[in-house]
Amino acid sequence: MQRDSSSLDKLLENPRVWRGHNQAHAPGGLPSGYQALDNHLPGGGWPRHALTEILVEHYGIGELRLLMPALAALSTPDNDIDYNEPGWIAWVSPPFHPYPPALQQWGVDLSRMLIVRPKDASEMLWSAEQALSSGTCAAVLLWSDTLDDQASRRLQLAAEKGRSWAIAFRPPAARRQPSAAALRIELLAGQEGTRVAILKSRGGRPAVLHDLL
Amino acid sequence: MGTARRHHRSTRELFDQRSLALDEVSTPPAIVTAPPARRLWFCVYLPQLPLEANGPGAGPRAVVEEQQGIHRVLLTCPRAEAAGVMPGQSANAALALLPRLLIEERSEVAEQQALEHLAGWLEQFSSMVSIAGPDVLLVEIAGSLRLYGGLLKLRQQIAAGLEQLGFSASLAIAPTPLAATWLARGGRRACIREPANIGAALRTLPLSCLDWPAATCESLAGMGVRNIGECLRLPREGVARRFGPQRLLELDRALGRLPDPRTSWRAPERFCTDHEMTEEQSDRELLLAICRELLQSHERFLLARQLGVQSIEFSFFHLRSNATVLRLGCVEAERQAGRWFDLLRLQFEKLVLPEPVIAVRLRGGHTQALRAESGRLVFRGRTAGRGIRFSIAQLAERLMARVGRQSVAGVATVAEHRPQLAWRPRNLLKEKTLGEVSTARGRLQRPLWMLPEPARLHVDDGYPLHQGRLRILDGPERLETGWWDEDSIARDYYTAINPRGMRLWVFRTRSRDADWYLHGFFG
Repeated sequence: MQRDSSSLDKLLENPRVWRGHNQAHAPGGLPSGYQALDNHLPGGGWPRHALTEILVEHYGIGELRLLMPALAALSTPDNDIDYNEPGWIAWVSPPFHPYPPALQQWGVDLSRMLIVRPKDASEMLWSAEQALSSGTCAAVLLWSDTLDDQASRRLQLAAEKGRSWAIAFRPPAARRQPSAAALRIELLAGQEGTRVAILKSRGGRPAVLHDLL
Repeated sequence: MGTARRHHRSTRELFDQRSLALDEVSTPPAIVTAPPARRLWFCVYLPQLPLEANGPGAGPRAVVEEQQGIHRVLLTCPRAEAAGVMPGQSANAALALLPRLLIEERSEVAEQQALEHLAGWLEQFSSMVSIAGPDVLLVEIAGSLRLYGGLLKLRQQIAAGLEQLGFSASLAIAPTPLAATWLARGGRRACIREPANIGAALRTLPLSCLDWPAATCESLAGMGVRNIGECLRLPREGVARRFGPQRLLELDRALGRLPDPRTSWRAPERFCTDHEMTEEQSDRELLLAICRELLQSHERFLLARQLGVQSIEFSFFHLRSNATVLRLGCVEAERQAGRWFDLLRLQFEKLVLPEPVIAVRLRGGHTQALRAESGRLVFRGRTAGRGIRFSIAQLAERLMARVGRQSVAGVATVAEHRPQLAWRPRNLLKEKTLGEVSTARGRLQRPLWMLPEPARLHVDDGYPLHQGRLRILDGPERLETGWWDEDSIARDYYTAINPRGMRLWVFRTRSRDADWYLHGFFG
């Protein structure tokens, strides 16, 4: 018995062995404002300094409402989470106009909005990378139908470098593509409301949440 | 000493009942602080500037200016004048007199440029050159007399130089700037060195030399005042009351009773350097390296002067075609070569060079003093950990350089009930960013997504359609406003949901046919 246990310890010390539960003690997440969602996310909130992918088929099913409390906290100076200085929120190629009066109703500081409308996919990726790695933007939202594995890796690296939160909105077909994102969720809308499905969560478990939005 | 007594007089006496007469120099009215250093002002008055600013011309010429819709002759060259062309004639009348006449429109920009060019040229004679009006330059020459071998020689040198440059000028010298200006306007080749003689010299000048408002001159003429001497005999109080204290101030300054400070004009400093190559090059990496070198010497130039520039211009010269020009701009005055180089690299990628390059020129824009930024008193460890690489202005600049100026913006709200007008894009670089958090949260919900234009919805059996029949969740909210401009609206807004679970912001117009439109999504 004695011998067996020590060999197990030895095995676990091997750096090539990866243990999932260690990841769960990752640095505190960014509170999402939705308690049920925070409970399912490692760190109790959105992963900071990482890429989050949100798969949506249609707009207007609550994809922005899901983010608003966290964005409001990031853009206003009186938060006590990570940033002493409020960060900017960059919107890269949004499908419509983000409507300022509504953003204000959610408590987002409008003077911290940066809206970029690049002409093509490569400019889009470049702009998002620049904003992420600048260190000025607390969050960068981008909309893309053509993000590949390599691009998601670049975004993830830029987010780490600039200590920023990247949020990529992608079509549901992207579910089959591999991605470097730390968190991948899908929004499934229906007459009875929108369900939030956690497809991939670094250090967490998949789950489906009803009645969140 | 008369000056010693002068110090104790009060300003009240400025407007005392005594006349302005010069002969009473022993009791001048104003307080003068320490006796100023002796100054001598050289005035260059350019009566023909509108004509001469357009450059030399061969044939007879006239400059016209539009007055109440008619082009009238303002100035003519001697040859045109000999043919009978007179100032005040209409352009057509002048052409009828002299069909060969070259008619030019007056260009105030060209005049200003010519004036600045002359000011730059005059800087060789004195460190104090001042542009005193649209056609007047003043040079303070008291300090330069010895260097140039006396007043007469200096005057000859300036006169000869002006003639060579193609300007006909009227010159005058006096101890005060205004006296020199008035004498030059009067066409007197006067040269007054002693302040005591100013009055006598000015006395016979007509009022037109003063460049006072026409109404003032007219009413003075109505009083029988024809020259400056008669004007000086008027009671001070009356002059101040009728024509404003400014006129009195000018007279006192001209006579040297009050100081008349002038601002010194400085030619703007600009950087311009070429890099010549021994043979043509098309290697872009090499060209970039050359640009970097040029930028570094530009930075040294600016650093030594504590200046920055907002724009620079690279010219790539080719042997057989026109130079390719690349302009770069920055939001704030900047001198760091590294930052300019970053901007250059972004644009250089897209630059098309038609041919190999033989020389590169860097020309800096107008320089301006750099604004210092204060550092932070409290060092905040966690903020520092975020590793800010560039500020929002720098980020916006980089984005604009690549994706275009129109494609990067902020947002702001506008106090307006019409939803499509309740916001506007904000120029991130110009408008200061102040915290703008909502204070009115209790209003009706607004959608997070707004369509650029409302989209008309099809209607089926009375139900509006958008990927299925819409079900109304909330509403109506009636908005009926904007009667004061072209954009008046009368709409009932509803929140609706479609079978796919999308929440829409739709409205029905309040006209007879009552169309449905989609205006936004509750994202």
